[in-house]
Formats: sequence, structure tokens, C-alpha cells
Amino acid sequence: MTTRIKVKNAETGASVDMDLEQDNTVEEIIESAASYWEKPAGAYVIRKGKQVLRGQATIMDAGILSEDVLELIPDPEGGQ
Amino acid sequence: MARTLRPGYLDEDKHERSKRLEWFDLDKVQNTKVLVVGCGAIGNETVKNLILAGFKKITLVDMDRVVRSNLNRCLFFDDDDAEKKKLKAKVVVEKAKKLEKDLEIEYRSEMIQDLPDDFIPSFDLVLGCLDNVAARLHLNAHCYMHGIPYVDAATLGFVGKVQVVLPPETPCLECGMNKTHLKIMGDRFSCTGVDTTYHEPKLAAEITTTSVVSAIQTRESIKIALGLQSDLMQNVFYYDGMRNVSDILELDENPECPHHMHEKQVSTADRRSSARQG
Repeated sequence: MTTRIKVKNAETGASVDMDLEQDNTVEEIIESAASYWEKPAGAYVIRKGKQVLRGQATIMDAGILSEDVLELIPDPEGGQ
Repeated sequence: MARTLRPGYLDEDKHERSKRLEWFDLDKVQNTKVLVVGCGAIGNETVKNLILAGFKKITLVDMDRVVRSNLNRCLFFDDDDAEKKKLKAKVVVEKAKKLEKDLEIEYRSEMIQDLPDDFIPSFDLVLGCLDNVAARLHLNAHCYMHGIPYVDAATLGFVGKVQVVLPPETPCLECGMNKTHLKIMGDRFSCTGVDTTYHEPKLAAEITTTSVVSAIQTRESIKIALGLQSDLMQNVFYYDGMRNVSDILELDENPECPHHMHEKQVSTADRRSSARQG
């Protein structure tokens, strides 16, 4: 069964629909969205509301439901 | 004997206004041994904040030298430091003493990974002001193993983040990482031959985001020094200066994170041991 969600690009406000299978992982969402928006190399995480989703979690584990809006946010690495 | 007042006496004590905070205890703050790893933008700002807040026992670790491109966001560095390519940590130590002459401040100009195993456990509090995932994971692992509070701060342009790791109560830094973190670390350390130089892209950095995350990092450090554990930020402070928003993001403990797997193994072993004794 396919679950359609929306992924938002936190940096630009753009969004894209994504069809997921139950065994897809959060990391796969990150990779697909980051590639789609041609994000520069760097660390990213997905948030659902205030919750940061664990990368290895499947969409079932992460409780991702149809029509959910997830946000791709950069995870900063700098400081020097 | 009656106390004699003198006009202006309220302005003679440097920390008089801090002491008006009913929960503030200067002795506790002054006696907390703090390790600051990284003397770049966040490190400069955080050392300044720590000193003004009353911290006195500070050790810095950074192996880099000052360059001119540091000067848009580093309070303690100037053109002369950049021209002479001075050690960042040494410059911060020298100039920090101008803010507070009674500081017990010292530095180590080495990679944190190269310092002896008993170095990190000798502190009460560790602050990560770094620019790479590998050093962060090193601090995270050592602090978690030794039960030392670790406050990590990071920026990327107008985006910033602060995470408080209070072992064993909170998730750790590694709990929030995924393949993208490992990829940037892998790219940096991939073994493709001794003559290969990995090109490290320069990250966007400016002072306002640095100031915000450094302020939060210092504020949480004060709470830790004062034992205000219940008031600590238990999750991740995330700031987006372009959108003018900040949020506390929730992060769960990752059951596959090696630090928490170890905890579970230990507690399972404890339970087995108790069962045997029972």
C-alpha cells in the first residue's frame, strides 16, 4: 500500500509529493528529497512537527501517515 | 557593629547584578571546571559569555591558527593575530585574561582525539564549539561514557542548533544522526591514498547566528553548573534566523545507538546479577 506524503524544503519553502511504501526509511526520504532539490553535501534531518525522525526508522516505525507534511532541515555542522 | 554604607557600593561588585537572580550561586559557577573544544566563532563567543557569567576554570582545545576569514565573527581575533598566524586557543587565552584577570584558563593546541583518555573525564562540563561531525562524536562518546554533561552548538549560515546531552537522562548526539552525517564524515576520512587531499568546502558563517547559539549554550551551562537539571533543555534548540523562528525539537533515544545499547547491556547484566544474588 502506498502512502502519499508531502515533503517541505525548510530553506526555500518549496514542497514535493512523495509516494512511500511501508518499508521505506526516513533516510530514504532524506536522500530522495535532498537529491531532488540538489542540496549541497551536508547533514540533513526530517522533522514531523516538533519531532526529529530517526533516520533508520521505517515509515511505519516513525508513524508517518498519508497526507503528513514532513520538513527537510539542514543539521548544522559549523562553528569555527 | 552597624554596617556602614557608602554611596555607589552596589556598583563595586562585578557580579552584583547576577547575584540578584535568586537561583544564582557564583561559587558554584566559579568552581565548575569547563572544557571548551573549538576556539572558532562559537568558541570565541562562548568563552566571552562564560567569563562574563562568572566561570573561572576554563580549558580550551583547538589546533588551528587564526586567518583573516575568521575576523567577521571572532571577538578575540584581530588582523595582527591573522598576519602572524597565531594559535587560536593561545590568542583566546591571552585576550580572555583582559576580561577577567583571575581566570584559571589554559589551552591545549591538539586535536581532541589525540588527548589522553583521562583528559575529558577531568572536567565537570564539556562544550562543543566544533566544525566537524567526527570530533563531535568523539566528545559525545567520551562524555556519555563518563557521565559528563555535554552541550553542543553548531551553525550553518542563519541556521543554528544547540543540544544538551545529560547522560544517562537524555538522548545523545549520535541518536539524532543518520546516513547524511556519516557520509560527510566518510568523505573527509576516506582512504584514497596518502597524497590525496580532501577538499573541505567552507561553510557559511556569520556573527548573529553564532551569538544566538552561543548564548543558549552558555545559558544551559550555567544551569548545569548550578544543578538546575529540571530546568535544562531536554531536547534540541533549533534556530532559523532567515525565517525568524526557533523551536525546541524533540529527539528520541535511538535504540540502535551504541551508547544506549551499552546502557541496556549494562542494565541487563545488573538485572541478571541481582537475580543470581536473589
